[in-house]
Amino acid sequence: MTDEKITYDEAVQRLESIVAQLERGGKNLDETLAMFEEGTTLLRQCQTELSEAEGRLAELRLDEAEHLVAEDA
Amino acid sequence: MSSGPHTTTGPLPIGQFVKLVQSTVKQDPLFQHQALRGEVSQWKIHNGTVYFKLRDDDGQLDCVIWRNARLSVDPSIKEGSDVVVIGSLDLWPKRGNLQLVVRKIEPVQTVGVLEETKRALIEALKHEGALDRPRMALPGMPKHVAIVTGAGSAALSDMKRLISNRWPGLRTTVVGVLVQGDRAVNELVRGLAVTRALSRADVAEQLGLPPVDVVIVGRGGGSVEDLWAFNLEPVARAILASPVPVISAVGHEQDVLVSDLVADARASTPSNAVEILVPDRHSVMMMLDDVDMRMGDAVKRRFGELRQRLMLLTTQLKHAPGKGVFRAKEHLATLSSRMNRSAEHSISIQQQRLARLEATLIASHPHRVLERGYTMVQNDEGDVLTTLASLQQGQTVNLQFADGRAAADIHTIEPKEEEK
Repeated sequence: MTDEKITYDEAVQRLESIVAQLERGGKNLDETLAMFEEGTTLLRQCQTELSEAEGRLAELRLDEAEHLVAEDA
Repeated sequence: MSSGPHTTTGPLPIGQFVKLVQSTVKQDPLFQHQALRGEVSQWKIHNGTVYFKLRDDDGQLDCVIWRNARLSVDPSIKEGSDVVVIGSLDLWPKRGNLQLVVRKIEPVQTVGVLEETKRALIEALKHEGALDRPRMALPGMPKHVAIVTGAGSAALSDMKRLISNRWPGLRTTVVGVLVQGDRAVNELVRGLAVTRALSRADVAEQLGLPPVDVVIVGRGGGSVEDLWAFNLEPVARAILASPVPVISAVGHEQDVLVSDLVADARASTPSNAVEILVPDRHSVMMMLDDVDMRMGDAVKRRFGELRQRLMLLTTQLKHAPGKGVFRAKEHLATLSSRMNRSAEHSISIQQQRLARLEATLIASHPHRVLERGYTMVQNDEGDVLTTLASLQQGQTVNLQFADGRAAADIHTIEPKEEEK
């Protein structure tokens, strides 16, 4: 599960390098397939991360916020 | 000046005149809410009301700070202090003297002292390496943004508007605090303690939210004094204590604040912090779509190329059988020479083994024994007789010597005595 540890930024960087390498061509079938597979996984990871950013905006007063975290601390 | 009923009927009563002066003074904006600088003398406090004179080499004026003004007076102010006051001029008709009603008083040196404290703090932070520390990178896609800023402030509305423009529905938690005045430091520190808690996985999980992964702390622009909380050590320490990156976002142009120096990133305004942090959803989606498409195209193209190459190879093979046969022959030749070599090898091993066997056989041949003086006895059938029991009286046997044989008749058979 170490793959999940890479950040969104790293995933995007890796994706870009994969696309660049694929576009340059010259890789054999196995390499091409492996890169395509990795790229697809990274793309899915990025999309998941983006959807995970969706939430709501909560506006709290300081005392409310302190109460909120104190309850769970 | 108002033209009262007495202006043309003789001398004016002094009280009326003084009141006229008073109303003139109180109506002229030049004399109202004026900032003045001078030296404090004859500082006296009576029943909570402060009386003093503000003076310099060219003049002086009576001043009063009324008890009900509830003004917090810096305790360092004393006889001779250089101060700035904001006050309005008034005239006390009963005594006829002008006095300045003071609404705010600050020692002039305070600003200097603050600057000195800030400089010392920066020095200390530099010394302990807090300013050279490696900065945490801002997340490319923040999952939970925390904002510590003035509740209901214009800065907050700006940030909210900008966030919804760039990434509608970005998960954000705003902690509203006081960002100026005496309580600002305390509230900023407590606000940052809240974001620190929210960045903890266990706390976030309890709340059903992803942990806070970046913090914006800031406020809109203001005077040096207004922003001063961001120059104080407790706020700097709270920023340094954050386990997730902090963006210092205080609106100001010239002076660098301590919060800017210790934070992981510095924005020139709160809105600028959002611009730095929050990606534009539309362009991100376009980028990912583009990557998806380019990757698909590239792979399809490569597959096409590889298929073509395969076809080319097949054709080449079909149309050039000679080459293939030649290769096969070559291969066979190599194989057979290897086989031969290994066969030869095993034959020579067999030969050596045979030679050794022969030597052993030769060494154990009966002739070699006969040569040493023994004789072998055989019957007519050529069987070797090794015991008396196989002999009979009158039997003719052959005696085999190394150099020939002789016939002999058995006439006495005498078994060994002990054997009986």
